[in-house]
Amino acid sequence: MNRFLKLVNFELNRFMNIYLVLIALTVIVQAAGVIVTANAYMDKANQAINEEMLSAAQFIEQYGAMSFLDFARGLWFTGPIAVCAAALLFYIFMIWYRDWLGKNTFIYRLLMLPTARLNVYLAKATSIVLMVLGLVSVQLIILPLENSVLKWMVPADFRTDMTVGQIVKWDYLSILVPQSFTEFILYYGAGFMAVSVLFTAILFERSFKWKGIFLGIGYAAISAIIMLSPLLATAFMDHYYLYPLETFGLEVGLGLILTALTLWMGHYLLTKKITV
Amino acid sequence: MNVMFNKRDPVYVQVIRYFKEQIATGMFESGQEIPSRRELANRLKINPNTAQRAYKEMEEAGLIYTERNLPSKITKDEAILKSVRQELIMEAVDDFVSSIRSINVPVDEVLDLVKETFENEDDK
Amino acid sequence: MIEVNDIKKKFGRKQVLNGVSFTAEKGKITCIIGINGVGKTTIMNAIMNLTPLNGGQILMNGESIGKQSYEQITFIPDAIIMQPNMTIAESMQFMTDFYDSWNQERATELLDFFKLQESEKINNLSKGNRAKVNLLLGLALDVDYLLMDEPFSGIDIFSREQIAEVFTSHLVEDRGVIITTHEINDIEHLIDKAVLLDEGKVLTEFNSEEVRETEGKSVVDVMREVYQQ
Repeated sequence: MNRFLKLVNFELNRFMNIYLVLIALTVIVQAAGVIVTANAYMDKANQAINEEMLSAAQFIEQYGAMSFLDFARGLWFTGPIAVCAAALLFYIFMIWYRDWLGKNTFIYRLLMLPTARLNVYLAKATSIVLMVLGLVSVQLIILPLENSVLKWMVPADFRTDMTVGQIVKWDYLSILVPQSFTEFILYYGAGFMAVSVLFTAILFERSFKWKGIFLGIGYAAISAIIMLSPLLATAFMDHYYLYPLETFGLEVGLGLILTALTLWMGHYLLTKKITV
Repeated sequence: MNVMFNKRDPVYVQVIRYFKEQIATGMFESGQEIPSRRELANRLKINPNTAQRAYKEMEEAGLIYTERNLPSKITKDEAILKSVRQELIMEAVDDFVSSIRSINVPVDEVLDLVKETFENEDDK
Repeated sequence: MIEVNDIKKKFGRKQVLNGVSFTAEKGKITCIIGINGVGKTTIMNAIMNLTPLNGGQILMNGESIGKQSYEQITFIPDAIIMQPNMTIAESMQFMTDFYDSWNQERATELLDFFKLQESEKINNLSKGNRAKVNLLLGLALDVDYLLMDEPFSGIDIFSREQIAEVFTSHLVEDRGVIITTHEINDIEHLIDKAVLLDEGKVLTEFNSEEVRETEGKSVVDVMREVYQQ
């Protein structure tokens, strides 16, 4: 356990520089975005009021009041989130390949640690999940700040205020920021499962090279089909016998079994099939 | 300590020979402490097991001795020390004689030449 | 004792190891010699359970190599196995963190012996110094067996001499060492046992001092006979 935590710490440190850049990027771009978006709205309002001689009420009627979502839907807000998501998705692969690629032979060290090799795997997966959580936390911290900046820049008459609680219910944010503990477990559990399926697919490639690419893709595809099977059944069968809650239970069950199987497979590949 | 080892004779034999030469020339004196096996291996860049073997053989031949846990020392037995010198001289003479024999030179002529060469060398 | 028992390994269609067997004892230096590069590194990897075999088995003291074995046996490959952006001090800290068998005293001694600066980044080291750090990270573990892959290749003569000196010092004392090389000249006098490898098989294994004593042959003499047949 101790070595596992040290490994997690080590994996986090290895990515820390890029991770901090991602955080800085998010904070800076979103902060700039709030200001630019609010300014643009106020410019438009001023122009409308001063040049087209509209009253404030008429302007709001015509163009709508400014809400946080006007900013959240724009590239200033979603851009950094997309970049972070893409970076972490890319890093799911790089967290393994960086130990093999080029002149780097660090995988020798990792595989020769006096600890179960599954710990190396779990530490990498845990790091990815922690990094996602970290970015979401940063987003949660800067959301109220951005909201305040918006209030500060746009007069009360021109805006529809939203609380942070309302904002995080919007669209994909509601998945990143679960509304209840159960949702949290479900969403991040599913995330962990997805990461481990990708990890095991990567290990297939690392163990069997060219053949492994197909095995890996096959493994990921079968996993996806298994998880989607209840939904596919609903779509294609005339009679679907399960209530929504039962379907949900089935999904959770399948997810648990698939995760266990994936971890076992990862363990098997790491101890019996892997090649440095 | 700098020894050029040849690659075909057992290294331990070469180590023993090196010790005998040092004894014969007085570089190693009777009762003098000698390096530990590990040190010797390190200095001569040879396998420690080989150094161990050389010491074991020398101990059996009475060239060196070890008291309790103290470092090994060159023997104080004058007879052995003398015989080492004798042995080396005889070996050299044997080698010399056998190579001289093969070119058929009378012994007097050889002896004169030997003396002459010796004196010339000393002058240098 | 490490027993390598009839191991076989295929890469694609190529049979790299075709029934290799030999033993390596504690307190002895065993040298795996092969003229062409094939197979030697694979044997090392196989001993460390870093590549799967197609047959045969490898035992250390009668047991197969598992996670706990890595406190008793270690491998020093020919390239450094540490994150290159770490400093030497950080590398040593990493080893301290993960290995119970890490011996800080010996590490410090080795640092001194090799005249390395702890604060230097691995990335900025010369090839020779990098090899020394690699060696340090392995040698400072209190393990029974040390595997080294071509420790002398591709580095300058002075580094080579230093490394050879380590072999004969108390730093390696009483451990079992397996090294691979294609260039035996530098270390003929260092090794106990030679294992000659060719085309995936062991051609012969012998004690070098014994061959000198009974047959008056050097290791290279035996190689010449065996490989030129």
